[in-house]
Amino acid sequence: MAQSARTRWLPWIVLGAVVVGVLVFTAWPRGVDESTAARTHRIASELRCVDCESLSVADSATSTAAATRADIATRIRHGESDAEIRQVYVDRYGESVLLKPSSSGLGVLVWALPIAALVIGAGGIALALRRWSRQPRLVASEADEELVATERTRR
Amino acid sequence: MKHPFRWIALAVGAGVCVLAVVLALTVSSDPHQDSNTSRLVGKTAPAFSVQSLDGKPITSGSFAGKTVLVNFWNSWCIPCRQEHDALSSWYAEHRNDPSVALVGIVREDTKQAVRSYVKDEKVTWPVGFDPGAKAALDFGTRGQPETYAIGPDGLVVASKFGPVTPQVLDQMVAFAQGTS
Repeated sequence: MAQSARTRWLPWIVLGAVVVGVLVFTAWPRGVDESTAARTHRIASELRCVDCESLSVADSATSTAAATRADIATRIRHGESDAEIRQVYVDRYGESVLLKPSSSGLGVLVWALPIAALVIGAGGIALALRRWSRQPRLVASEADEELVATERTRR
Repeated sequence: MKHPFRWIALAVGAGVCVLAVVLALTVSSDPHQDSNTSRLVGKTAPAFSVQSLDGKPITSGSFAGKTVLVNFWNSWCIPCRQEHDALSSWYAEHRNDPSVALVGIVREDTKQAVRSYVKDEKVTWPVGFDPGAKAALDFGTRGQPETYAIGPDGLVVASKFGPVTPQVLDQMVAFAQGTS
């Protein structure tokens, strides 16, 4: 019985471990030893090019985008954090300059809602599976077996 | 929990409601508003240093105490060409007024094209090239033409994205000088 319970929960434990592992891996801060050029490119790719269509500052060839990249690199050399640099551009152009929604204020819903939907969906599936596994299996009654045997004999 | 599916449905419904509220708030905040207004208005104007056609510096410091209209433009943009007559007529009327100044800062253009344009269209107000697009970036420009009015106290008091008219320029100056 104990063995059966363990076997039943094992896939869920493994699934939980995988989900936690993926979340930790993606949220873990990286790029501590990132070069100025790589950091400039990363921040520039998160900012919308303000004088062109559907391009990031990293991908745009306009002189304003080039000036923005140079400005980001200067700010990095002066020791400003990623958040401080982003804020300079939000102050200058508004939230719409960010290609990735902000993770504070209303913007947090953009990130939280899909996760909430995933959790609710997974919970629903788990409950449904539990309910189905508890339903008694169909067992043929003696009358049913007799009917089937009669029919087979007749053929 | 007697009816778990009912709770799940309720949670999903609540999620949808939250999403609807977020969308409604986003729509009501007008996503285009950011691209039509300058966030510089009410703040100290960025200091700028641009180069005139003959290589001499034109700096914001040289206009201290004046109302300055800074016009970002270039030779190939059609709206810039459309507003040329308005700038010309306004400047003809105010060129001898010591309390105001008009400066054109070139955005995204070549020196050769700008020189030809200035000569052909008889641009008489100071025009400067913006090395490294620094002024364009510091003013938070998104394109051209864009015009900023800087008051004698150094504050940006008004901005206009798109072509101006002489009336708009007069309004900007009056606002900057507190006479509107």
